[in-house]
Amino acid sequence: MTFEREEFRAGAYALLPAIIGGVPYGLVAGVAGAVSGLTPLETMASSVFIFSGIGQLIVYQLIGSGSPTAVVLLASVIVSLRLVMYSAVLAPHFEALNMRWKFLLAYLTTDHGFAASVLRFQKTEDPHRRAWFHLGGGVAQWLSWQPFVAIGSFLGTQLPASWSLDFIVPLSFLAMLVPAIKDRGTAVAAAVGGVVALAAAGLPFRLSLIAGAIAGITAGFFSDWRRK
Amino acid sequence: MNIWMIIVGAGLITFVMRLSFIYLHGKTSFPAWFHRSLRYVPVAVVAAIVLPGIAMQSGVLDVSLNNPRLLAGIIAGLVAWWTGNAIAVLVVGMSALWVLQIWV
Repeated sequence: MTFEREEFRAGAYALLPAIIGGVPYGLVAGVAGAVSGLTPLETMASSVFIFSGIGQLIVYQLIGSGSPTAVVLLASVIVSLRLVMYSAVLAPHFEALNMRWKFLLAYLTTDHGFAASVLRFQKTEDPHRRAWFHLGGGVAQWLSWQPFVAIGSFLGTQLPASWSLDFIVPLSFLAMLVPAIKDRGTAVAAAVGGVVALAAAGLPFRLSLIAGAIAGITAGFFSDWRRK
Repeated sequence: MNIWMIIVGAGLITFVMRLSFIYLHGKTSFPAWFHRSLRYVPVAVVAAIVLPGIAMQSGVLDVSLNNPRLLAGIIAGLVAWWTGNAIAVLVVGMSALWVLQIWV
């Protein structure tokens, strides 16, 4: 497929805000990996395999608290459910592409990349131009994310435990949580999710996160069900 | 070895979710309830990490002034609410924890 330079650059440019915001986030993710006991190699491998800030942070948090493999994987399923929706929305736009392209574009799909592409695709009909746009954003984000995760993963192993750097993980989630509470439904989901996770702290296999997540989603869902 | 199972497994799960409908080539629409529940996934999951992360000390629930993580978390939460700036939350939250750990 011929290189659509203009679309590729437009894709990268559209994600510039996400890329700049991703710098401290990448550092935090790298430090979180190190603090949870992963070597820089393991942190980097997980960053390449997962390539999702929230996905990586959940995995590090659960590994750090000694969760069994099955629970970590179940949590990964829950946090990546939204990616299934992105995939469904993008699918018709990528239908004409071959499998190699589909695999590549799927792998590079992020929250910001999805949003930028969906907006752009309303104006571009040509599937090749669409593909290059999505690729440009994904490659730019990938190339800017990985070095900062790497730096964080080295820093995290150098810094002394008395600095309590593990606290960065709940803090970075807190910074995501507060702006995401926009209405009654999301407030109920957050309150129930948090309280149930606390109440369930004694559950075996570190199932409290899963219990909290499912309870919070259900509570949020029914809290605005009654209104409609 | 277990760590590598998690790394590869979580990576595969994330990739399969991303690929799902792109591979099956879409035109599929979800039932409305699925869309609506997705709205609550991030807040519920994130809150289920944040609350135990700040309200528990060495695996035990500690809602008291002796828990510097709880106090630092509340201060950081207020900063998040006022500014919406993630970097400010990290800087203030970590600084508060360090000060409180010396103090408390």
